[in-house]
Amino acid sequence: MLFNSYPFILLFLPVVLAGYFWFGRRSNLAPVIWLALASLAFYAIGSWQFVALLLLSIAFNYGVGHLLIVAKLTPPQRKAALALGVVGDLLVLGIFKYAGFATDNINALFGTHLAVHILLPVGISFYTFTQIAFLVDAYRGQVAAYALPHYALFVTYFPHLIAGPILHHKDMIPQFEREESKHPDPHLILCGMIIFAIGLFKKTCLADGIQPLVALAFDARAPSFDQAWLGALAYTFQLYFDFSGYSDMAIGISLMFGIFLPINFNSPYKATSIVDFWRRWHMTLSQFLRDYLYIPLGGNRRGRVLRYVNLLLTMLLGGLWHGAAWTFVIWGALHGVYLCVNHAFNALVPSVPAILARPVRFAGAVLTFLAVVAAWVFFRAERVDWALRILNAMADPANIVFGREEIAALVMVSIYAALVWLAPNTQAIMGYDHGNRRVGEAMRAGRMRPLVLYGASLVLALGILGIQSHSEFIYFRF
Amino acid sequence: MRSAVTSLKRLILASIACVLGAAALTFVVDPLQLFRPSRLVAAGYSEDTRVQNAGLIRSQSFDTAFMGTSLAIHFRQSDIDRALGVRSLKLAMTGSNSRQQGFVLEQAIDHGARRVIWAMDDFSFIAAADIEADPYLSVDLYRRTPRGIASYLFSAAMAKESLFALLRSIPPLRDPLTRAAPYLPVKFALSDVDDIYALPRNFDVARGYNAERTLAAFAYITDPVRSRFLGEGYGYEAMVRHFERDVAGLVTRHPDVTFDIYFPPYSILQFVAMRDASPATLKIVTDLTAHIAQRLSQLSNVRLYDFRAIKAVTHDLGNYSDVIHHSPVVDAMVLGWLASGEYRVDPNTPLASLEKLKAQVESYRVPQP
Repeated sequence: MLFNSYPFILLFLPVVLAGYFWFGRRSNLAPVIWLALASLAFYAIGSWQFVALLLLSIAFNYGVGHLLIVAKLTPPQRKAALALGVVGDLLVLGIFKYAGFATDNINALFGTHLAVHILLPVGISFYTFTQIAFLVDAYRGQVAAYALPHYALFVTYFPHLIAGPILHHKDMIPQFEREESKHPDPHLILCGMIIFAIGLFKKTCLADGIQPLVALAFDARAPSFDQAWLGALAYTFQLYFDFSGYSDMAIGISLMFGIFLPINFNSPYKATSIVDFWRRWHMTLSQFLRDYLYIPLGGNRRGRVLRYVNLLLTMLLGGLWHGAAWTFVIWGALHGVYLCVNHAFNALVPSVPAILARPVRFAGAVLTFLAVVAAWVFFRAERVDWALRILNAMADPANIVFGREEIAALVMVSIYAALVWLAPNTQAIMGYDHGNRRVGEAMRAGRMRPLVLYGASLVLALGILGIQSHSEFIYFRF
Repeated sequence: MRSAVTSLKRLILASIACVLGAAALTFVVDPLQLFRPSRLVAAGYSEDTRVQNAGLIRSQSFDTAFMGTSLAIHFRQSDIDRALGVRSLKLAMTGSNSRQQGFVLEQAIDHGARRVIWAMDDFSFIAAADIEADPYLSVDLYRRTPRGIASYLFSAAMAKESLFALLRSIPPLRDPLTRAAPYLPVKFALSDVDDIYALPRNFDVARGYNAERTLAAFAYITDPVRSRFLGEGYGYEAMVRHFERDVAGLVTRHPDVTFDIYFPPYSILQFVAMRDASPATLKIVTDLTAHIAQRLSQLSNVRLYDFRAIKAVTHDLGNYSDVIHHSPVVDAMVLGWLASGEYRVDPNTPLASLEKLKAQVESYRVPQP
């Protein structure tokens, strides 16, 4: 089931909300069980064949976590339990996600004709990563014992289950345990609806609206210079509004239940360097990769060279996490190289005088954006040679069409660019403060004008009117 | 607390009001002309023919429907009318399959078409899935079911088009917006029905259609990396089934309608590519068209034409932009042949032109650069 669908908005969400608060008047545990069951139903409606796998994954990780938290194990036994948990998770992820890729490569290398056809369970990357983090923290002694319903809800919680943001148990489970969140808070529901409306608008009107232009570059046999750029930029904006729209919707829906989800985007295309970009794009993934991959690899504690190796490795694996294909590996490698260059630049070049700070920041933002667009070409292209073809076209200004279609596309891309660079982001509009569990303080204090409310109504209406019968989220494929 | 509850109610009620307002705007302006021909605002047309056709069938007056895929997309209605002495409605849809074509034609026949001109491509019979569940063509919109009407009225895209049409009808804005429309992100940007999916009148034909492009396309599709796509989806039994359901079924259901069906003049390289890179596909194509020719020859309300073996056209690679899409010069020839009856398949020897084509394909040698 999609957030941008009538059954979800008009039926599933109201019923689950009503049930949650109805149970909330009777018990502190029943709403948790209700929400976990609703989340399973949400998952089953779209991917019933993988419900058993999801339940098995929860049971396995909860069991291993229980060993690490409660059982009195010796240090080697604890290490073995952690290894069992992480290897088990990665094995399942590897089989479902990478077996086909591995087979294709073996066939290409050895001329064999092995065939593997395994469907990718929706959301497997997200629920596997959240649980690996849980196991690692349990091993480190940073986890208190959690009740199974709360743990199951943490993993299956439907606002995040399919496409993130990646949740952290320390952030979520205490919220599930709070009694106050089980009673309806009109202010949180109002703020949640507005954030949901913004996300829905981003997805149905903006992302789906620009999606046809992507074909200019990616479906064309030989795109011209302008077509390649317009198509690549269209994809750059489509991906942004698609994914950040999804994250906004997830945050908004969760807020209606009184639960604060972490922010996943902070205007990433306004980043002034690639390091800054990764602090603003898919922030929960960046944090996960930093805490559970980059730092365990040694981070920057083992000298400059190893730091660059660790960065490259982390981004390579980050790329592979997004998809089992060489295009994603190259995308990850490119970002790894970008990060290394960025860190080397910071280390080697002295800080600029104050008078030059602004132009340098501007140049940094332009360069960062161009680097990101070039990398998105690999992210989107079906194959490496297709991506190279598009990049070649982007570097060949001699071949320009600039006909009616391209001019219309340029107008559209310009509107999106203005939105991306000039409009405030959702958390700024709503004063969403995840850390302090605060949102819409201006609205609560009555400082928000009715115009904002009616603007939000229009955005919600347009978001609902923009729902199309065939639309999906890009991140569902990961 | 009370203020939040009030705001929540206001938000929901105002959203409902906006949704209903947008639906009312679309109903009144009716950019697709689904309910009535445009009167309040100047008519606009979209190149999204799968949607646009639903409105054209209801708002235009016509006696002849013209159908096909991208091979027939650039024909102009006015040219068809002039050449054949009819009042035509072009309904060709890029990449359409036979099921979509048959469905749209059935709607056109129900709304007055007494003659059908149909450019028939073999590949349109490959994947002709159930029309009722087709995500690319809304049968509900064509049939104006409550679901179809709701999807039309409760649509942000249509509300945007309606608003633009309304703005364009304001006298001081009319001219600048009409001129700017083709360059703006609006769909119903064309003011003349004749311009729907037609090449601009100042199009540089020599640049768009030439041997260099045709040979480059040939090299591309026969490249070993891609050549397997040549036969993708081709299956004789299924294609015959689709033909029987979508073409033969439609023709026999409407004995009072005349069907002028033709095999378009692809460049010879289309078949040579199959010959060299996918002979099994070539066999399916020739067997299928043999079946079609024999079957249609038996139907009294069909006039079948085969333009695939006209060497002067199909061997002149300068007529094409790739291995199949021909230039507007050939469009004019096609209309001329249809008007004169030239290259009409003799019902007594339905396979004669196919045999000629087979011989040409066998003997053809690709020019080397």
